[in-house]
Amino acid sequence: MSTLDTTPAVAQTASVANGAAASTNAPHVAPMRSAQTGRESTTLGTFGVKSGLAQMLKGGVIMDVVNAQQARIAEEAGACAVMALERVPADIRKEGGVARMSDPRMIKEIVEAVTIPVMAKVRIGHFVEAQILQSIGIDYIDESEVLTPADEEYHINKHSFKVPFVCGARNLGEALRRISEGAAFIRTKGEAGTGNVVEAVRHERAVNSEIRKASVMNEEELYAFAKDIQAPFHLVKETARLKRLPVVNFAAGGIATPADAALMMQLGCDGVFVGSGIFHSGDPAKRARAIVQAVTHYNNPKILAEVSEDLGEAMVGLTIDDNLKGGKMAGRGW
Amino acid sequence: MVPGHVTIGILALQGAFAEHQVAFQKVSVRKRVVVVQVRTTAELDQCDALVIPGGESTTIALLARLSGLLDPLREFIARKPVWGTCAGAILLARSVEGAKKGGQELLGGMSITIQRNGWGSQVESFEAPLDVCDLRDPQRPFTGVFIRAPVLLTLDTTPIDPPISVIARLPSSVLPRLVKNTLDQHDTDSQVTRTAVAIRQGRHFLTTFHPELTEDYRFHDYFVRECVLPEMR
Repeated sequence: MSTLDTTPAVAQTASVANGAAASTNAPHVAPMRSAQTGRESTTLGTFGVKSGLAQMLKGGVIMDVVNAQQARIAEEAGACAVMALERVPADIRKEGGVARMSDPRMIKEIVEAVTIPVMAKVRIGHFVEAQILQSIGIDYIDESEVLTPADEEYHINKHSFKVPFVCGARNLGEALRRISEGAAFIRTKGEAGTGNVVEAVRHERAVNSEIRKASVMNEEELYAFAKDIQAPFHLVKETARLKRLPVVNFAAGGIATPADAALMMQLGCDGVFVGSGIFHSGDPAKRARAIVQAVTHYNNPKILAEVSEDLGEAMVGLTIDDNLKGGKMAGRGW
Repeated sequence: MVPGHVTIGILALQGAFAEHQVAFQKVSVRKRVVVVQVRTTAELDQCDALVIPGGESTTIALLARLSGLLDPLREFIARKPVWGTCAGAILLARSVEGAKKGGQELLGGMSITIQRNGWGSQVESFEAPLDVCDLRDPQRPFTGVFIRAPVLLTLDTTPIDPPISVIARLPSSVLPRLVKNTLDQHDTDSQVTRTAVAIRQGRHFLTTFHPELTEDYRFHDYFVRECVLPEMR
Protein backbone atom coordinates (compact mmCIF):
# COMPACT_ATOMS: atom_id res chain seq x y z
CA MET A 1 0.00 0.00 0.00
CA SER A 2 1.53 3.27 -1.01
CA THR A 3 1.15 6.23 1.27
CA LEU A 4 1.54 9.91 0.79
CA ASP A 5 5.08 11.02 1.30
CA THR A 6 4.84 14.08 3.49
CA THR A 7 8.53 14.94 3.68
CA PRO A 8 9.04 18.26 1.94
CA ALA A 9 10.10 17.52 -1.58
CA VAL A 10 12.86 19.55 -3.17
CA ALA A 11 11.21 22.52 -4.78
CA GLN A 12 11.04 21.97 -8.50
CA THR A 13 12.93 24.60 -10.42
CA ALA A 14 10.64 26.51 -12.67
CA SER A 15 11.62 25.32 -16.12
CA VAL A 16 10.09 28.18 -17.98
CA ALA A 17 11.34 28.38 -21.51
CA ASN A 18 8.38 28.71 -23.77
CA GLY A 19 5.07 28.49 -22.04
CA ALA A 20 3.20 31.09 -24.01
CA ALA A 21 0.29 29.02 -25.12
CA ALA A 22 -2.47 31.56 -25.28
CA SER A 23 -5.05 30.30 -27.68
CA THR A 24 -6.83 32.83 -29.82
CA ASN A 25 -10.22 31.43 -28.94
CA ALA A 26 -9.98 30.67 -25.27
CA PRO A 27 -13.43 29.53 -24.14
CA HIS A 28 -15.37 31.79 -21.85
CA VAL A 29 -15.73 29.91 -18.63
CA ALA A 30 -18.02 30.73 -15.74
CA PRO A 31 -15.55 30.98 -12.86
CA MET A 32 -15.69 29.63 -9.34
CA ARG A 33 -17.26 32.29 -7.19
CA SER A 34 -15.88 31.29 -3.82
CA ALA A 35 -12.93 32.48 -1.81
CA GLN A 36 -9.98 30.16 -2.36
CA THR A 37 -8.21 30.91 0.88
CA GLY A 38 -6.51 28.20 2.91
CA ARG A 39 -9.09 26.67 5.21
CA GLU A 40 -8.51 24.14 7.90
CA SER A 41 -11.70 22.15 7.61
CA THR A 42 -14.11 20.91 5.01
CA THR A 43 -16.84 23.18 3.80
CA LEU A 44 -20.17 21.78 2.69
CA GLY A 45 -22.48 23.58 0.30
CA THR A 46 -20.15 26.47 -0.62
CA PHE A 47 -21.05 28.54 -3.65
CA GLY A 48 -18.09 26.78 -5.27
CA VAL A 49 -19.61 23.31 -5.03
CA LYS A 50 -23.05 24.66 -5.93
CA SER A 51 -21.94 26.38 -9.12
CA GLY A 52 -19.43 23.56 -9.69
CA LEU A 53 -22.14 20.94 -10.18
CA ALA A 54 -23.69 23.16 -12.86
CA GLN A 55 -20.28 23.25 -14.53
CA MET A 56 -20.25 19.43 -14.60
CA LEU A 57 -23.65 19.42 -16.35
CA LYS A 58 -22.42 21.59 -19.23
CA GLY A 59 -22.73 20.20 -22.74
CA GLY A 60 -25.53 18.02 -21.44
CA VAL A 61 -29.29 17.64 -21.56
CA ILE A 62 -31.52 17.76 -18.45
CA MET A 63 -34.81 15.99 -19.07
CA ASP A 64 -38.23 16.41 -17.40
CA VAL A 65 -39.55 13.11 -16.03
CA VAL A 66 -42.68 12.29 -14.04
CA ASN A 67 -41.83 8.79 -12.77
CA ALA A 68 -38.96 6.37 -12.21
CA GLN A 69 -39.53 4.57 -15.51
CA GLN A 70 -39.15 7.79 -17.52
CA ALA A 71 -36.08 8.64 -15.44
CA ARG A 72 -34.46 5.33 -16.46
CA ILE A 73 -35.25 6.00 -20.14
CA ALA A 74 -33.65 9.43 -19.78
CA GLU A 75 -30.54 8.01 -18.08
CA GLU A 76 -30.14 5.33 -20.77
CA ALA A 77 -30.51 8.02 -23.44
CA GLY A 78 -27.57 9.98 -21.98
CA ALA A 79 -29.30 12.68 -19.91
CA CYS A 80 -26.76 14.39 -17.61
CA ALA A 81 -29.54 14.95 -15.02
CA VAL A 82 -33.29 14.57 -14.69
CA MET A 83 -35.91 17.03 -13.45
CA ALA A 84 -38.59 15.35 -11.37
CA LEU A 85 -42.03 16.90 -11.58
CA GLU A 86 -45.63 15.89 -11.20
CA ARG A 87 -46.80 16.93 -14.67
CA VAL A 88 -44.76 18.12 -17.64
CA PRO A 89 -45.45 21.75 -18.57
CA ALA A 90 -47.61 20.81 -21.60
CA ASP A 91 -49.97 18.94 -19.26
CA ILE A 92 -49.99 21.79 -16.73
CA ARG A 93 -51.15 24.04 -19.60
CA LYS A 94 -53.81 21.58 -20.73
CA GLU A 95 -55.20 20.68 -17.31
CA GLY A 96 -54.83 24.01 -15.54
CA GLY A 97 -55.13 24.31 -11.75
CA VAL A 98 -52.39 25.09 -9.25
CA ALA A 99 -49.10 23.31 -10.04
CA ARG A 100 -46.99 22.48 -6.97
CA MET A 101 -43.88 20.60 -5.87
CA SER A 102 -44.15 16.85 -6.56
CA ASP A 103 -44.87 14.13 -4.01
CA PRO A 104 -41.57 13.49 -2.15
CA ARG A 105 -42.19 9.74 -2.49
CA MET A 106 -42.20 10.00 -6.28
CA ILE A 107 -38.99 12.05 -6.14
CA LYS A 108 -37.34 9.47 -3.85
CA GLU A 109 -38.30 6.70 -6.26
CA ILE A 110 -36.58 8.61 -9.05
CA VAL A 111 -33.49 9.18 -6.87
CA GLU A 112 -33.38 5.41 -6.22
CA ALA A 113 -33.82 4.54 -9.90
CA VAL A 114 -30.95 6.54 -11.40
CA THR A 115 -27.30 7.41 -10.68
CA ILE A 116 -27.29 10.82 -12.40
CA PRO A 117 -28.21 14.02 -10.48
CA VAL A 118 -31.90 14.52 -9.75
CA MET A 119 -33.44 17.99 -9.73
CA ALA A 120 -36.95 19.00 -8.70
CA LYS A 121 -39.08 22.12 -9.01
CA VAL A 122 -40.49 24.36 -6.28
CA ARG A 123 -42.88 27.28 -6.63
CA ILE A 124 -41.38 30.78 -6.79
CA GLY A 125 -40.98 32.01 -3.20
CA HIS A 126 -42.01 28.70 -1.59
CA PHE A 127 -39.04 28.19 0.71
CA VAL A 128 -40.70 25.38 2.65
CA GLU A 129 -41.02 23.25 -0.48
CA ALA A 130 -37.29 23.91 -0.90
CA GLN A 131 -36.55 22.86 2.70
CA ILE A 132 -38.44 19.61 2.07
CA LEU A 133 -36.49 18.85 -1.11
CA GLN A 134 -33.18 19.62 0.60
CA SER A 135 -34.04 17.24 3.43
CA ILE A 136 -34.65 14.32 1.06
CA GLY A 137 -31.23 14.85 -0.55
CA ILE A 138 -32.18 16.21 -3.96
CA ASP A 139 -29.18 17.42 -6.00
CA TYR A 140 -30.57 20.67 -7.44
CA ILE A 141 -33.74 22.77 -7.02
CA ASP A 142 -35.44 24.68 -9.82
CA GLU A 143 -37.35 27.68 -8.43
CA SER A 144 -39.61 27.62 -11.44
CA GLU A 145 -42.18 29.82 -13.15
CA VAL A 146 -43.69 26.62 -14.58
CA LEU A 147 -45.31 25.97 -11.20
CA THR A 148 -47.86 28.43 -9.80
CA PRO A 149 -46.01 31.14 -7.83
CA ALA A 150 -46.40 31.11 -4.05
CA ASP A 151 -45.15 34.67 -3.56
CA GLU A 152 -45.71 37.56 -5.94
CA GLU A 153 -43.03 39.77 -4.45
CA TYR A 154 -40.13 37.72 -3.08
CA HIS A 155 -38.03 34.87 -4.43
CA ILE A 156 -36.43 32.34 -2.08
CA ASN A 157 -33.24 33.46 -0.30
CA LYS A 158 -31.15 30.73 -1.89
CA HIS A 159 -27.94 31.56 0.02
CA SER A 160 -29.36 29.96 3.14
CA PHE A 161 -29.56 26.47 1.55
CA LYS A 162 -26.84 23.82 1.10
CA VAL A 163 -28.60 22.52 -1.99
CA PRO A 164 -27.98 24.62 -5.13
CA PHE A 165 -30.70 26.40 -7.13
CA VAL A 166 -31.33 27.05 -10.81
CA CYS A 167 -33.67 29.90 -11.84
CA GLY A 168 -35.19 31.15 -15.08
CA ALA A 169 -34.48 34.55 -16.63
CA ARG A 170 -35.67 36.54 -19.64
CA ASN A 171 -32.93 39.16 -19.61
CA LEU A 172 -29.68 40.13 -17.92
CA GLY A 173 -31.28 42.07 -15.06
CA GLU A 174 -33.47 39.14 -14.09
CA ALA A 175 -30.54 36.69 -14.31
CA LEU A 176 -28.34 38.85 -12.06
CA ARG A 177 -31.14 39.43 -9.53
CA ARG A 178 -31.49 35.65 -9.22
CA ILE A 179 -27.72 35.22 -8.84
CA SER A 180 -27.66 37.87 -6.13
CA GLU A 181 -30.34 35.87 -4.28
CA GLY A 182 -28.02 32.84 -4.48
CA ALA A 183 -28.90 31.02 -7.71
CA ALA A 184 -25.83 29.04 -8.86
CA PHE A 185 -27.17 28.27 -12.31
CA ILE A 186 -29.40 30.22 -14.76
CA ARG A 187 -31.63 29.05 -17.61
CA THR A 188 -33.66 30.97 -20.13
CA LYS A 189 -37.37 30.89 -19.32
CA GLY A 190 -38.54 30.38 -22.88
CA GLU A 191 -42.20 29.41 -22.90
CA ALA A 192 -42.52 25.98 -21.27
CA GLY A 193 -44.93 23.39 -22.62
CA THR A 194 -45.32 24.96 -26.07
CA GLY A 195 -42.74 23.07 -28.13
CA ASN A 196 -42.03 26.50 -29.61
CA VAL A 197 -38.44 27.69 -29.31
CA VAL A 198 -39.07 31.35 -30.18
CA GLU A 199 -39.20 32.66 -26.59
CA ALA A 200 -36.04 30.80 -25.53
CA VAL A 201 -34.27 32.38 -28.50
CA ARG A 202 -35.63 35.82 -27.55
CA HIS A 203 -34.40 35.44 -23.96
CA GLU A 204 -30.94 34.13 -24.85
CA ARG A 205 -30.45 36.86 -27.45
CA ALA A 206 -31.61 39.49 -24.94
CA VAL A 207 -29.08 38.31 -22.33
CA ASN A 208 -26.25 38.17 -24.88
CA SER A 209 -27.02 41.56 -26.33
CA GLU A 210 -27.08 43.23 -22.90
CA ILE A 211 -23.78 41.55 -21.96
CA ARG A 212 -22.19 42.82 -25.16
CA LYS A 213 -23.40 46.35 -24.40
CA ALA A 214 -22.11 46.20 -20.83
CA SER A 215 -18.74 44.82 -21.91
CA VAL A 216 -17.74 48.09 -23.61
CA MET A 217 -19.06 50.44 -20.92
CA ASN A 218 -16.89 52.46 -18.58
CA GLU A 219 -17.54 52.45 -14.84
CA GLU A 220 -19.92 55.47 -14.83
CA GLU A 221 -22.00 53.90 -17.57
CA LEU A 222 -22.08 50.59 -15.70
CA TYR A 223 -23.55 52.30 -12.61
CA ALA A 224 -26.35 53.77 -14.72
CA PHE A 225 -26.83 50.48 -16.60
CA ALA A 226 -27.10 48.53 -13.32
CA LYS A 227 -29.83 50.94 -12.21
CA ASP A 228 -31.65 50.54 -15.56
CA ILE A 229 -31.70 46.75 -15.50
CA GLN A 230 -32.31 46.63 -11.72
CA ALA A 231 -29.31 44.43 -10.96
CA PRO A 232 -26.58 44.71 -8.30
CA PHE A 233 -23.63 46.75 -9.55
CA HIS A 234 -20.94 44.26 -8.52
CA LEU A 235 -22.56 41.49 -10.59
CA VAL A 236 -23.05 43.79 -13.58
CA LYS A 237 -19.38 44.73 -13.37
CA GLU A 238 -18.25 41.11 -13.09
CA THR A 239 -20.44 40.10 -16.04
CA ALA A 240 -19.00 42.94 -18.14
CA ARG A 241 -15.46 41.82 -17.29
CA LEU A 242 -16.14 38.12 -18.03
CA LYS A 243 -18.24 38.92 -21.13
CA ARG A 244 -20.65 36.18 -20.01
CA LEU A 245 -22.94 35.38 -17.10
CA PRO A 246 -20.91 34.59 -13.99
CA VAL A 247 -22.64 31.17 -13.67
CA VAL A 248 -23.55 28.39 -16.09
CA ASN A 249 -26.42 29.26 -18.44
CA PHE A 250 -28.70 26.65 -20.04
CA ALA A 251 -31.56 27.01 -22.52
CA ALA A 252 -35.07 25.97 -21.52
CA GLY A 253 -38.68 26.43 -22.53
CA GLY A 254 -39.84 25.14 -25.92
CA ILE A 255 -36.96 22.95 -27.13
CA ALA A 256 -38.43 20.01 -29.07
CA THR A 257 -35.91 18.88 -31.72
CA PRO A 258 -32.16 18.24 -32.03
CA ALA A 259 -31.98 21.32 -34.26
CA ASP A 260 -33.63 23.47 -31.56
CA ALA A 261 -31.04 22.24 -29.05
CA ALA A 262 -28.11 22.94 -31.40
CA LEU A 263 -29.56 26.40 -32.17
CA MET A 264 -29.53 27.30 -28.48
CA MET A 265 -25.96 25.98 -28.12
CA GLN A 266 -24.78 28.05 -31.09
CA LEU A 267 -26.44 31.09 -29.52
CA GLY A 268 -24.08 30.56 -26.58
CA CYS A 269 -25.94 28.37 -24.07
CA ASP A 270 -23.91 25.87 -22.03
CA GLY A 271 -26.51 23.06 -22.31
CA VAL A 272 -30.28 22.53 -22.54
CA PHE A 273 -33.32 21.52 -20.53
CA VAL A 274 -35.97 19.57 -22.44
CA GLY A 275 -39.38 19.40 -20.80
CA SER A 276 -42.45 18.18 -22.61
CA GLY A 277 -40.50 17.77 -25.88
CA ILE A 278 -39.31 14.24 -25.10
CA PHE A 279 -42.09 12.32 -23.40
CA HIS A 280 -44.77 14.02 -25.52
CA SER A 281 -43.15 12.81 -28.74
CA GLY A 282 -43.66 9.61 -30.73
CA ASP A 283 -40.41 7.85 -29.73
CA PRO A 284 -39.07 9.38 -26.47
CA ALA A 285 -35.92 7.21 -26.14
CA LYS A 286 -34.77 7.88 -29.68
CA ARG A 287 -35.54 11.62 -29.57
CA ALA A 288 -33.84 11.98 -26.19
CA ARG A 289 -30.68 10.30 -27.49
CA ALA A 290 -30.72 12.46 -30.64
CA ILE A 291 -30.97 15.67 -28.59
CA VAL A 292 -28.07 14.50 -26.38
CA GLN A 293 -25.92 13.99 -29.47
CA ALA A 294 -27.04 17.31 -30.95
CA VAL A 295 -25.84 19.19 -27.86
CA THR A 296 -22.36 17.59 -28.09
CA HIS A 297 -22.00 18.02 -31.86
CA TYR A 298 -23.91 21.33 -32.10
CA ASN A 299 -21.39 22.78 -34.52
CA ASN A 300 -21.37 19.80 -36.90
CA PRO A 301 -24.34 19.98 -39.36
CA LYS A 302 -23.46 16.57 -40.84
CA ILE A 303 -23.91 14.81 -37.50
CA LEU A 304 -26.99 16.96 -36.75
CA ALA A 305 -28.54 15.74 -40.01
CA GLU A 306 -27.82 12.10 -39.13
CA VAL A 307 -29.30 12.29 -35.64
CA SER A 308 -32.37 14.25 -36.80
CA GLU A 309 -33.44 11.50 -39.21
CA ASP A 310 -36.50 9.39 -38.61
CA LEU A 311 -37.34 10.46 -35.04
CA GLY A 312 -41.09 9.98 -35.39
CA GLU A 313 -43.68 12.56 -34.36
CA ALA A 314 -42.44 15.67 -32.56
CA MET A 315 -44.67 17.09 -29.82
CA VAL A 316 -47.47 19.26 -31.13
CA GLY A 317 -46.30 22.86 -30.95
CA LEU A 318 -48.38 25.83 -29.81
CA THR A 319 -48.43 29.36 -31.15
CA ILE A 320 -47.50 31.85 -28.45
CA ASP A 321 -50.14 34.62 -28.50
CA ASP A 322 -52.70 36.10 -26.12
CA ASN A 323 -54.94 33.03 -26.53
CA LEU A 324 -52.21 30.60 -25.36
CA LYS A 325 -53.86 28.04 -23.11
CA GLY A 326 -52.40 28.27 -19.62
CA GLY A 327 -51.10 31.78 -20.33
CA LYS A 328 -47.51 32.98 -20.62
CA MET A 329 -45.51 31.45 -17.80
CA ALA A 330 -42.38 33.51 -18.52
CA GLY A 331 -44.05 36.58 -17.02
CA ARG A 332 -43.95 34.97 -13.57
CA GLY A 333 -40.93 36.00 -11.48
CA TRP A 334 -39.89 39.47 -10.41
CA MET B 1 1.75 16.33 -33.25
CA VAL B 2 3.78 19.38 -34.09
CA PRO B 3 7.54 19.21 -33.30
CA GLY B 4 8.44 21.29 -30.27
CA HIS B 5 4.83 21.31 -29.18
CA VAL B 6 2.89 19.06 -26.91
CA THR B 7 -0.75 18.57 -27.91
CA ILE B 8 -3.15 17.85 -25.07
CA GLY B 9 -6.64 16.76 -25.98
CA ILE B 10 -9.64 17.37 -23.73
CA LEU B 11 -12.46 14.89 -24.34
CA ALA B 12 -15.28 17.36 -25.11
CA LEU B 13 -18.35 15.12 -25.27
CA GLN B 14 -19.98 16.49 -22.11
CA GLY B 15 -18.91 18.19 -18.89
CA ALA B 16 -16.37 20.75 -17.71
CA PHE B 17 -13.91 20.53 -20.60
CA ALA B 18 -13.52 24.28 -21.22
CA GLU B 19 -12.14 24.79 -17.67
CA HIS B 20 -9.30 22.31 -18.35
CA GLN B 21 -8.51 24.10 -21.60
CA VAL B 22 -8.16 27.42 -19.76
CA ALA B 23 -5.99 25.81 -17.05
CA PHE B 24 -3.54 24.18 -19.50
CA GLN B 25 -3.13 27.51 -21.26
CA LYS B 26 -1.69 28.87 -18.00
CA VAL B 27 0.84 26.05 -17.58
CA SER B 28 4.42 26.98 -18.27
CA VAL B 29 6.78 24.16 -19.34
CA ARG B 30 9.72 23.78 -21.72
CA LYS B 31 7.48 22.96 -24.66
CA ARG B 32 4.58 24.92 -26.09
CA VAL B 33 1.30 23.40 -24.92
CA VAL B 34 -1.41 23.20 -27.55
CA VAL B 35 -4.89 22.25 -26.34
CA VAL B 36 -7.56 20.73 -28.58
CA GLN B 37 -11.13 19.67 -27.86
CA VAL B 38 -11.74 16.06 -28.88
CA ARG B 39 -15.10 14.94 -30.26
CA THR B 40 -13.97 12.73 -33.17
CA THR B 41 -11.28 10.12 -33.90
CA ALA B 42 -9.51 12.59 -36.22
CA GLU B 43 -9.14 15.03 -33.32
CA LEU B 44 -7.98 12.25 -30.99
CA ASP B 45 -5.26 11.24 -33.47
CA GLN B 46 -3.59 14.67 -33.11
CA CYS B 47 -3.06 14.28 -29.37
CA ASP B 48 0.02 13.37 -27.31
CA ALA B 49 -2.08 13.05 -24.15
CA LEU B 50 -5.72 13.23 -23.16
CA VAL B 51 -7.81 14.57 -20.29
CA ILE B 52 -11.19 12.99 -19.56
CA PRO B 53 -13.03 15.78 -17.70
CA GLY B 54 -15.69 15.88 -15.03
CA GLY B 55 -19.28 15.46 -16.13
CA GLU B 56 -21.60 12.48 -15.99
CA SER B 57 -19.73 9.23 -16.60
CA THR B 58 -22.83 7.51 -18.06
CA THR B 59 -23.41 10.36 -20.52
CA ILE B 60 -19.76 10.56 -21.58
CA ALA B 61 -19.57 6.77 -22.12
CA LEU B 62 -22.76 6.74 -24.21
CA LEU B 63 -21.61 9.68 -26.34
CA ALA B 64 -18.21 8.00 -26.82
CA ARG B 65 -19.95 4.87 -28.10
CA LEU B 66 -22.33 6.79 -30.38
CA SER B 67 -19.39 8.81 -31.74
CA GLY B 68 -17.35 5.65 -32.47
CA LEU B 69 -14.73 6.70 -29.91
CA LEU B 70 -14.81 3.82 -27.40
CA ASP B 71 -12.23 1.57 -29.08
CA PRO B 72 -10.00 4.44 -30.27
CA LEU B 73 -10.00 5.74 -26.68
CA ARG B 74 -9.02 2.33 -25.28
CA GLU B 75 -6.17 2.09 -27.82
CA PHE B 76 -5.08 5.62 -26.89
CA ILE B 77 -5.03 4.73 -23.18
CA ALA B 78 -2.85 1.69 -23.93
CA ARG B 79 -0.18 3.90 -25.53
CA LYS B 80 -0.37 7.45 -24.21
CA PRO B 81 -0.82 9.43 -20.96
CA VAL B 82 -4.38 10.06 -19.80
CA TRP B 83 -5.71 12.07 -16.83
CA GLY B 84 -9.24 11.50 -15.57
CA THR B 85 -10.98 13.97 -13.22
CA CYS B 86 -14.09 12.84 -11.32
CA ALA B 87 -16.27 11.29 -14.07
CA GLY B 88 -13.05 10.80 -16.03
CA ALA B 89 -11.56 8.95 -13.05
CA ILE B 90 -14.54 6.60 -13.09
CA LEU B 91 -14.04 5.93 -16.79
CA LEU B 92 -10.32 5.19 -16.22
CA ALA B 93 -11.06 2.61 -13.50
CA ARG B 94 -11.10 -1.11 -14.22
CA SER B 95 -14.22 -1.61 -12.13
CA VAL B 96 -16.92 0.56 -10.59
CA GLU B 97 -19.45 0.25 -7.79
CA GLY B 98 -22.70 2.18 -7.82
CA ALA B 99 -22.98 1.88 -11.60
CA LYS B 100 -26.29 2.61 -13.27
CA LYS B 101 -28.76 -0.26 -13.51
CA GLY B 102 -27.58 -2.77 -16.11
CA GLY B 103 -23.96 -1.64 -15.64
CA GLN B 104 -22.00 1.01 -17.48
CA GLU B 105 -19.13 1.02 -19.91
CA LEU B 106 -15.63 1.90 -18.68
CA LEU B 107 -12.43 2.56 -20.57
CA GLY B 108 -10.11 0.99 -17.97
CA GLY B 109 -6.43 1.84 -17.80
CA MET B 110 -5.86 2.05 -14.05
CA SER B 111 -6.04 -0.99 -11.78
CA ILE B 112 -8.48 0.34 -9.22
CA THR B 113 -12.06 -0.11 -8.08
CA ILE B 114 -13.96 3.15 -7.64
CA GLN B 115 -17.34 4.00 -6.14
CA ARG B 116 -19.56 6.56 -7.88
CA ASN B 117 -20.97 9.35 -5.68
CA GLY B 118 -18.95 7.84 -2.84
CA TRP B 119 -19.52 10.73 -0.41
CA GLY B 120 -23.26 11.05 -1.10
CA SER B 121 -25.49 13.41 -3.06
CA GLN B 122 -24.90 17.07 -3.91
CA VAL B 123 -25.72 18.32 -0.39
CA GLU B 124 -22.67 16.31 0.78
CA SER B 125 -20.38 17.95 -1.80
CA PHE B 126 -17.51 19.84 -0.14
CA GLU B 127 -14.24 21.72 -0.41
CA ALA B 128 -11.24 20.68 1.66
CA PRO B 129 -7.52 21.53 1.85
CA LEU B 130 -5.51 18.52 0.59
CA ASP B 131 -2.06 17.27 1.52
CA VAL B 132 -0.07 17.04 -1.70
CA CYS B 133 3.34 15.77 -2.75
CA ASP B 134 5.45 15.94 -5.93
CA LEU B 135 3.66 19.12 -7.03
CA ARG B 136 5.46 22.44 -7.20
CA ASP B 137 5.38 24.14 -3.80
CA PRO B 138 4.13 20.98 -2.00
CA GLN B 139 4.00 22.61 1.46
CA ARG B 140 1.04 24.68 0.30
CA PRO B 141 -2.24 22.71 0.61
CA PHE B 142 -4.40 22.44 -2.49
CA THR B 143 -8.11 23.33 -2.29
CA GLY B 144 -9.89 20.19 -3.46
CA VAL B 145 -13.41 20.70 -4.79
CA PHE B 146 -15.41 17.48 -4.47
CA ILE B 147 -18.72 17.43 -6.35
CA ARG B 148 -20.72 14.19 -6.08
CA ALA B 149 -17.21 12.80 -6.16
CA PRO B 150 -16.20 9.14 -6.54
CA VAL B 151 -14.16 7.36 -3.86
CA LEU B 152 -11.31 4.90 -4.39
CA LEU B 153 -12.27 1.57 -2.86
CA THR B 154 -9.38 -0.76 -3.61
CA LEU B 155 -6.08 -0.75 -5.45
CA ASP B 156 -6.06 -3.93 -7.54
CA THR B 157 -2.47 -3.82 -8.78
CA THR B 158 -1.19 -7.10 -10.23
CA PRO B 159 2.55 -7.86 -10.67
CA ILE B 160 2.41 -6.77 -14.32
CA ASP B 161 0.86 -3.36 -13.53
CA PRO B 162 3.00 -0.30 -12.80
CA PRO B 163 2.97 0.69 -9.08
CA ILE B 164 0.46 3.24 -7.82
CA SER B 165 1.61 6.36 -5.98
CA VAL B 166 -0.59 8.74 -4.04
CA ILE B 167 -0.20 12.40 -5.01
CA ALA B 168 -2.94 13.95 -2.84
CA ARG B 169 -4.78 12.84 0.24
CA LEU B 170 -7.59 14.15 2.44
CA PRO B 171 -5.83 14.97 5.74
CA SER B 172 -7.07 13.15 8.83
CA SER B 173 -7.92 16.52 10.46
CA VAL B 174 -10.82 17.07 8.07
CA LEU B 175 -12.13 13.51 8.19
CA PRO B 176 -14.15 13.57 11.42
CA ARG B 177 -16.36 16.31 10.00
CA LEU B 178 -16.54 14.64 6.64
CA VAL B 179 -17.35 11.08 7.52
CA LYS B 180 -20.66 9.91 8.66
CA ASN B 181 -20.85 6.32 7.66
CA THR B 182 -18.77 6.80 4.58
CA LEU B 183 -15.47 5.65 6.04
CA ASP B 184 -15.10 2.61 8.20
CA GLN B 185 -13.02 3.99 11.06
CA HIS B 186 -11.86 0.55 12.16
CA ASP B 187 -10.59 -0.62 8.83
CA THR B 188 -7.31 1.26 8.45
CA ASP B 189 -6.45 -0.30 5.10
CA SER B 190 -9.69 0.77 3.52
CA GLN B 191 -9.36 4.24 5.04
CA VAL B 192 -5.89 4.64 3.61
CA THR B 193 -7.28 3.90 0.15
CA ARG B 194 -10.44 5.95 0.52
CA THR B 195 -8.62 9.11 1.56
CA ALA B 196 -6.37 8.96 -1.52
CA VAL B 197 -7.85 11.48 -3.93
CA ALA B 198 -5.11 11.84 -6.56
CA ILE B 199 -3.09 8.84 -7.73
CA ARG B 200 -0.64 8.10 -10.45
CA GLN B 201 -0.02 4.74 -12.13
CA GLY B 202 2.65 4.71 -14.82
CA ARG B 203 1.75 7.32 -17.42
CA HIS B 204 -1.82 7.69 -16.15
CA PHE B 205 -3.16 10.11 -13.55
CA LEU B 206 -6.44 10.36 -11.70
CA THR B 207 -8.08 12.93 -9.43
CA THR B 208 -11.48 12.40 -7.82
CA PHE B 209 -11.82 16.16 -7.29
CA HIS B 210 -11.72 19.14 -9.68
CA PRO B 211 -8.41 21.04 -9.95
CA GLU B 212 -9.84 22.75 -13.06
CA LEU B 213 -12.39 24.60 -10.91
CA THR B 214 -9.69 26.44 -8.96
CA GLU B 215 -7.15 28.98 -10.10
CA ASP B 216 -4.33 26.82 -8.76
CA TYR B 217 -2.81 25.09 -11.79
CA ARG B 218 -0.29 22.85 -10.00
CA PHE B 219 -2.04 19.61 -10.97
CA HIS B 220 -2.17 20.63 -14.63
CA ASP B 221 1.51 21.50 -14.39
CA TYR B 222 2.21 18.12 -12.74
CA PHE B 223 0.41 16.15 -15.44
CA VAL B 224 2.33 17.85 -18.24
CA ARG B 225 5.74 17.65 -16.52
CA GLU B 226 5.52 14.22 -14.92
CA CYS B 227 3.20 12.18 -17.13
CA VAL B 228 3.29 13.73 -20.59
CA LEU B 229 6.74 15.20 -21.29
CA PRO B 230 8.75 12.08 -20.20
CA GLU B 231 6.75 10.04 -22.75
CA MET B 232 7.81 12.34 -25.57
CA ARG B 233 11.56 11.85 -25.42
